[in-house]
Parts: sequence; structure tokens; C-alpha cells
Amino acid sequence: MSIVKEKASSMWFTQSLRLLHHELRRGELTIIFIAIALAVATVFSLTGFSGQIKHAIVANSTNTIGADRVLRMSSEVDTSIIEKSQTLALEYARKIETESMAFAGDNMLLSELDAVSDTYPLRGELRIKTSLTQIASVVANAPKLGTVWVEPSVLSRLNVKIGEVIEIGVAPLIIAGIVTDIPDRSYRAFIAGPTVILNIADMPKTELIQPGSRITYKYLFAGETDAIESFEKWIKPQINESQRWYDAKAAQNRLSRILDTAEKFLSLASMLGIVLAAVAVAVASRRYGQRHQPNVSIFKALGASISHVRKLYCLHWTLLSCLSIAAGLVVGYGLLLLGANAIASYLSLADAPLTFVPFLTAIFTGLLCAIAFAIHPIMTLVKSSPLNVIRGFSQEKVARFGWHQLPPLLALFLLLFIFSQDLVMSAALLFGGVVVSFILLLFGRGLMSAGRSVGTKAGKSWHLALANLKRRASENSVQLVSFTIAIMLLLLITVMKSSILSEWEQQFPDDTPNHYLINITQDQIQPLKSFVEENNIANQGFYHVYRGRLSAINGVKTVDKDDKDDDSQVQNAEKIDGTEKQQAKKTKQQKTRQGMGRELGLTWRTELPDENEIIAGQWWPVGDETPQVSIESNIAERLAVKLGDELTFTLGSDEFTVPVTSIRQVNWQSRQLNFIMVFNQSVLEQFPTTSISAWSISDDNRDLVYRFLANFPTITVMDFAAIMAQLNGIIEQVTVAIQLILILVVLAGSLVLIAQVQASMEERERELAILRTLGAKGSLLRNSVLYEFVALGAIAGLMASVGMEIAVYILQSQVFNMSGSFHFQYWLVGIGAGAFFVGLIGMLSCWRLLKLSSVTLIRRTM
Amino acid sequence: MQVEDKTLVLLQPLNLTVAAGESIAIVGSSGSGKTTLLSILAGLDLPSSGQVYLKNQPLHQFNEEQRSQVRAQHVGFIFQQFLLINSLTALENVMLPAELANMPDAQARGEALLAQVGLADRMEHYPSQLSGGEQQRVAIARAFIAKPDILFADEPTGNLDSKTGQHIIDLIFDLNVKEGTTLVLVTHDAKLAARCQRQVEMDSGALTEPLTEATLANTDENHAKNQADTQTTRHDDLASKTSVSQVG
Repeated sequence: MSIVKEKASSMWFTQSLRLLHHELRRGELTIIFIAIALAVATVFSLTGFSGQIKHAIVANSTNTIGADRVLRMSSEVDTSIIEKSQTLALEYARKIETESMAFAGDNMLLSELDAVSDTYPLRGELRIKTSLTQIASVVANAPKLGTVWVEPSVLSRLNVKIGEVIEIGVAPLIIAGIVTDIPDRSYRAFIAGPTVILNIADMPKTELIQPGSRITYKYLFAGETDAIESFEKWIKPQINESQRWYDAKAAQNRLSRILDTAEKFLSLASMLGIVLAAVAVAVASRRYGQRHQPNVSIFKALGASISHVRKLYCLHWTLLSCLSIAAGLVVGYGLLLLGANAIASYLSLADAPLTFVPFLTAIFTGLLCAIAFAIHPIMTLVKSSPLNVIRGFSQEKVARFGWHQLPPLLALFLLLFIFSQDLVMSAALLFGGVVVSFILLLFGRGLMSAGRSVGTKAGKSWHLALANLKRRASENSVQLVSFTIAIMLLLLITVMKSSILSEWEQQFPDDTPNHYLINITQDQIQPLKSFVEENNIANQGFYHVYRGRLSAINGVKTVDKDDKDDDSQVQNAEKIDGTEKQQAKKTKQQKTRQGMGRELGLTWRTELPDENEIIAGQWWPVGDETPQVSIESNIAERLAVKLGDELTFTLGSDEFTVPVTSIRQVNWQSRQLNFIMVFNQSVLEQFPTTSISAWSISDDNRDLVYRFLANFPTITVMDFAAIMAQLNGIIEQVTVAIQLILILVVLAGSLVLIAQVQASMEERERELAILRTLGAKGSLLRNSVLYEFVALGAIAGLMASVGMEIAVYILQSQVFNMSGSFHFQYWLVGIGAGAFFVGLIGMLSCWRLLKLSSVTLIRRTM
Repeated sequence: MQVEDKTLVLLQPLNLTVAAGESIAIVGSSGSGKTTLLSILAGLDLPSSGQVYLKNQPLHQFNEEQRSQVRAQHVGFIFQQFLLINSLTALENVMLPAELANMPDAQARGEALLAQVGLADRMEHYPSQLSGGEQQRVAIARAFIAKPDILFADEPTGNLDSKTGQHIIDLIFDLNVKEGTTLVLVTHDAKLAARCQRQVEMDSGALTEPLTEATLANTDENHAKNQADTQTTRHDDLASKTSVSQVG
């Protein structure tokens, strides 16, 4: 007896497994399976991807600055500081960072130059390989005198090999190996050129360091915690505005702010994919409920109890969800590898470990989707009446609005929150999403209705198709919205990539500067001047450049954003308790005001430069020796600086204060050399300086100019075309990432479409049967189904094109400051692609139905 | 039944007793209420008032769960639409009632029954791979597997051509005799109804039984022998009221 009971108690289990096994094999659960898997894969790949990128950049907390503490400044340090560190038995290393040209034969390359002392690095490892075939890298300090280590891309871009010579400034240096790991790699290097490392003792030979050169000096310190802290206590009060003292954590805070912004953008785009995948789960689970309704009724009619059915279907759904989640993790891992591969040339993720976070987040997402979206359909399913076996299975109408929609909406919100970690953004996105969907929905309905009236005049197939489209308008609206958004983003990226940047470049006059010359010494100006005159090269003259900081406004010290990190350091070190800390912060706020947050390029002029316009005050007359400054209008507004305000600047160890006598409006779009702060000559002329210039070099005399400039290797030449190419390269990389997300979005959208088509299958079957009985030809039926989807896709494409045009107009007018243009060819692409893609997916999902012979069709439905 | 503000009478007051082992046909035109009567007899639905007994169990007092239990123990079904579970094989469909009734040898019995209905070589096929007649044969095997005391058949040949229909009818009656099952058959086919021992007719929700003396006597005899509850009919003027007892 007990054996029988035991057997009975496990019967639901066997039956559930049996059903699942058969249904999976017969493909009846494919849509719901893919929907859950897609949501999981999306979350897994994107969380994993951004996590790995973060890890790869931040690497490991103590190594990112190559020391325990770093003193960064734009001039050399006072010897007393080094002496003090030695009395405390601190280790010490030096590093000089600058940008410079590297030459090899006729090739030149803008590179990030790191000159390091023999003790570098103090923390973390600098790793190199002395040949390309060497498998394991070795730990190193500084290169031997007369040699450099370079990042691999230097070899290919300058077309040189290890052992060959490159020129840095005027110094020929031998490439002794390639760098694989730099402990304090600057994230700037992702945008600037590849890194070249040389011995700091070789730096003078390059002659790159000139008064006023843009150079960063770093002093690295490491040692016992006590010693470091007492050194910090001693040095902090001596730090001036142009210097920065930081530890690994502060450096990371700065970095993580940048990463956070990038991450937010990535998550915003990918949330779209998740929402769509969730919608697909919702549609598919409703379909799941409806499909299994007859089974439950039969089970019950044959005597199955409610608890038997409930257990059976709970297990069925749970197992299905688990399988989908597992599949989603596998697919997500594949996508992750694809993404890592796409950015491999910029950033290697090979050593970045995959944490548990993406696994847990993805599994949680899968479970949440599976539970929240299926709870109502499954509850309804379990309640199916056995009486249906007699009365027939009319599908019960689900109320459009009701409490049952609360769990899915809450789940959606929770998903957005988990993914963005941002309450406001999630709420805004959910609300914005609902509003945008509603607007698109209204437009879509309008277009579908318009199509219906047009359809009555078109052929029979179109007539049928458009009538069907209108009748199923509410079911169609979800996929309409999703396809519209997906197509719009694809169009926007394409237009951005192929059109906006080139249009922006083309709008400049021919003599717009396309090369910028930096680090020109005073004795080089004369030969350069004669050269441009002789060869008739359009140029903007030469500007003296001084590097300095705005340190006070009307005697009130300015603070930079980055100082926050430093402040917390001091306060921690001094162990100030909570109240005092708050008070200190408050007084500090009162005593300071917002600064520029960076070092500025300063210059002097006797005459108002082109592309500048005085909007307040007056430009100084020639020969006016009273110290004064003219400030750019946007910055004046941001810093709340008015005419007559006294600004204090720090240049190296010198400080001076001048009044504001004019405010200028500057056309930043002109690609001319422009300055925020322009002084009169008497203020700056006593400081050492280098100069910059901007030349317009035509393709014809490019070789001539390059050959001439090769005589001045210490001058850094920035080619605008190369910068644009680099920018395009970055956009290309970003595009790969966005395309990956868009593929997920399109997949989710298609899934929604297929799920909806499946849900309408019985109805379509009946209609086709009736039409067949009435004598409709096969081609008429096929075409009417095809045209229905083609029209749906075309409407989505049309709305997407309008959306794209609006977005492009906003970008053009707000970001690029250019006049709007119309991109009709992309409208055709949008509408055509929408019609083709949706038509194809729709036809494929209805294929089985259209292939049925009329006899089968009629027998199945009548 | 309340439809908007009107009361719709589906069944007039009626009284029906079916004896164990008997075969009875409920005939009538479409909409006459015969399917409603069947669903009440089988415990799939409840009358708004009245009493229904199946194997002495008061179905009208039972909730859905208890009625399920009764169906699992005593009832078999054959439907016009076959109603097989599409994602289970023929054999698995047949085994289902036996499993729900906790029978230990479901598979062996299923195989034997499928062989009996001539589908020994189609056991692993899905319903969609079978013809209408074959699907109904699977349904018949499913109906008999749990050795039900009473079998309800709702237009079992309604979806089949006449030749296949004849074959299905033969099968049902053969098995019915062999297993000693009570048979309640709903049909509008007079020829099929004639094969039952007894025929009752439904017309606009009312039951009219062309009773013969023999059947009456037979019923009374059975009734007395089993000392079962007598059926009562209350002539209430409101709505549908059915009082039916099946004496097993």
C-alpha cells in the first residue's frame, strides 16, 4: 500500500519530466526557452563585459600608481622634498610624462612618452619581452641608456623591428623590447598614441624639455605605512595649486568616475535589450499558459487533482526556466568572448577574471523573468476547468489592465535597477519607456488605420493584409515599438558613422588649419616663419603658451573636483571625528569657490585674435602695460566671474593677480587656436615659454612640409586628419559594442514577433481555412500574410526614420553646431530594411501554416 | 444559468437512474442539453440544484477536488474531439488515467490495450502522426485502462467518416461487454443509439424516456438489489434542477 502511495506521490514528477522532454524535442517550448535565455545572456554578457573592462583597467589597487603615494607637478621638485623622503627611509622613483613624435625613416607617430628612473616602479610590475616570439614576459625597471621599450603597435605603425632605431626628439634610441604591462598606465594612452618608455637619463638628449613644454613630472614614493603617513603630513601643507598628491585610491576614484559614465551609457543601451527580452518572456509565457490549457483540462477530467496539476506545472516551468537560464549563461559567455575580442586591440581582457557578479545577476534576472512574468499565466492555467473538455477551449480574454500586471511591472523596474544601480534612472527609463511606447503606439495605430483605407483601393492581397494588420493592431503594437526603436538606433549609428562626421569636416573652409605644431622653442620660430612665408602656407601665426592654474578669484581659493579625494585622505590621516569633519567641510565650502579643475594654456596678445568677439569690457590698447586678462564668456559664466574681478594664477612656483577687463565670445568650432585666458604682454613676457602654431597643409605640399619639419624633431606635430582617424577608430570600437547590444535588441524584438505570431496561429489557421473554403487561391493567402508583415515592418521603418532624423537634427544643431540636413536615402534604408526583416521573420513563422494543404487546413479547424 | 439579466434554463427537472453494467444512449438534437446532462453526470459540472450520485457518492456535495478523485477511481471518457495530449505519445496518453488512479502496471496495461485496438505498432507515435480514427482508438484505450465502472462517450464518432465510425463503435461495445462497464453514450445518431440497451431523449432540456416495461423492471430490480438511494426529483420552477443517481 505504502509503495503504491509513494509511487502516486511521485507520478506528477514523472509526468512533468515526460511532458517537458517531449515538448522540448518537438520545439513547442522553443520561444519561451529562447526568451528567458536571451534575457539571461544579455545581462550576463553586458555585466561581465563591463566588469572585466573595469577590472582590466583598474587591475589591482596598489599597482595602478606604481607606488604608495605620488606627487605630480608640471615642474621639477624642490630638492628638500627628496631629502626629507630619504631621512624617512622612503623608496623613491621619478617619471616624466609627455607627448612627442617618434620618427623612423619617413614614418612618424605621435606617442605617449614615459621617461623613468632606475628604481621605477616601486609597486606593481613593469613587464617586457625582448623578442616578439618570447612567450613569457619578464619584470623590468628602466631601459638601459640609449634604448627604449615600446608598445607593440609602435612596431607596426612605424614599420620597425626590435633592435632598430627610432628617433625621439633629437635622440636616436634603439628599440630593446616591447612592453606588456605598465603598472601606472595612463588611461589617456587609450586616446593618445602608444607608449614609448625610455630611461630618464636619456631625456636631456631628446631636447624635448623646453621652458613652457607640456610636461608632467611624477615623484613616486613607497615605504612603511608610518613613514609614508608622516611624510604625507609633512608634505601636504606645502602642495600648491599646480601640484597634486595622491594615492592609489584617489587615482582609482578619478578613473572610476570615467568608467562609471561609460558604464552608464552601456547599461542604458543594453537595458533596452533586457526590457524587450522581458516582454518576449511575458508574451511567450502567456502563450505557454494558453497552449497548456487543454492539457490541464484533460488531466483534470481524467481525475487529476488541483495539487497534482499544480505540482506538475510548477516543476515543468521550473525545469524549463533552469534549462533556459543555463543556456543563457553559455550564450552570454560566448557573447562576452566576442566583445572581448572586438576590443582586444585596445584593451586585453585575457587576465581579467570573471567574477560571480555577472553569474548571480544573470541567474537572478532569469528567475525574476520566469517568476514575475509567468505567475499569472500559470495560476490561470492551473485553474483551467475540466468542463472545457466538453465545452471547448475558447481562450479567455485577459483584462488589459489589472492587478496581474503589477508583478511584471515591478519585476521590470527591479531588473532596470539591478542593471543600472540607479533608482532615478530606472524610474525615468520605465516611465519614459511607457510614454515613448504610448506615443509610438498612437502613431502606429494611426498609420495602420490609414493603411487600412488605402488597402481598400489596393489589390485583394493588400486589402486582406492591411485589414488584418488593423484588426490585430493592439497585438502588433509591442513589436511595432520594439522594431521602431531597434531600426532607429541602427539608422542613427549608420548616419553618425558615415555622414555626420564627414559633413562636419566638409563644412570648414579650405584654409582651416589641419596641423597643429606644439613645443616650438623661441629660436625655432624664425626659421618656421620664413618657411611658411616662402611656401605660402596658410597659418595662424605663433602663440606663446604658458602652463598655469587659476588659483583664486577675488582672493578666494579655487577648488578642483579632484581635490575631494585628497581632502578625505588628509582627514583620514588626521583622524578627525565626524562633527569636526563636517564643520571643516562647511568652512572649506565657504572659503573656496569653483575652479577650472585643470591646468590651462595661457597666452598673451596685443591684438584681438580672429574668431573672437568682445561682449563686455574693452580690449586693451596697444602698448597698455597695466596687467590685465580677457576671459572666455562660457567659462566666465561657469565660474561666475565678472568684469573687474581679480584672478590669481600660479605658474610653477610664481603667483600673480590681474583684473578682468574684457569678456570674449570664442568660436570653438573654427578649429583655430583659441585660448580661455588671454593676457596683455606685460603679464607673461618674463616667464619662459614655448610656442604653438596651426597650419593648413594641402596634400600637394605635405611631403615638403614633413621633410622640413623633420629638421625640428623636438616639435610635436598633431595631424588633424590623424586625430579624426583616431576618433573614427574609437567610434568604430564603440560601434562594435553598440552593434552587439543592437543584435540582442533585434533578436528580442524578433522573438516578440514570433511569440505573437504563434499566439495568433489558431486564429490565422481558422481564417485561412475559411478563405480557402470560399475559394481563395494559395498565392492570395501567401501574399496577404506576407504583405501584413511587410506593412508592419515598413511602418516601423518609417517611424524609425522620423525618429532618426529628429535625433540627428538635435545632434547637428546642439553638439556639432552645424545646420541640419535631410537624409532621405536612410529613410529608404530604414523602411526597406524594416519591411524586409519583419516580412521575412513573419513569413518564416507562418511557413508551416501556409504549407498546409487546404484539406488538412479545413480538417484541422472545422 | 444567469445570462445578463435573463435566466436561461438549460435542464428541466429530470430524474435518471442508470444501473451498473447497463448501456444507455442519450439522444437529441443540437442544443437539446444532452452534453450538459453528460457533464453533470460525470461530475465535470454541478447542477444549480438537485442531487447526483455516482457509485453512491453524492457528487452534488463534493468540491472539484473530491469529484476529481471520483473520476479518477470510477470514470472513463471518450470525446468527439478525441482530446489527446499532443505532446505525449499514444502509449503515454493511454497510461495517464492508470497513473492518476495509482495503478502499478500502467505501462503493461497500456501496451495490451493499444494492441487490442490494433495500434501495437503505433505506440510511440504522437497524436499528430495518427489519423482521426487512430486517435479515437487511442482515446478508447485510454478510457478503458483504469477499468472504469462507468464510461461516458460524447459523440464518439462525430468527427469520423462512417466506416471508421462503425469500427470505433464496435470497439467500444466489445470492450464494454468484455470489461463489464456501464456505458453512457451521448449521440444524435439513431443507429448508434439503437445499439444501447436503453435510449432516452433530450428535448429543450427535458428528458423523455421511451421506456419499455422490460427496462423499467430491470431498473427497479437493480435498484432494490443495491439498496441504493432512490432518486428524487423536485419540481422547482426556478432554473435547471437535475437529480440523477447512478446506481452501481
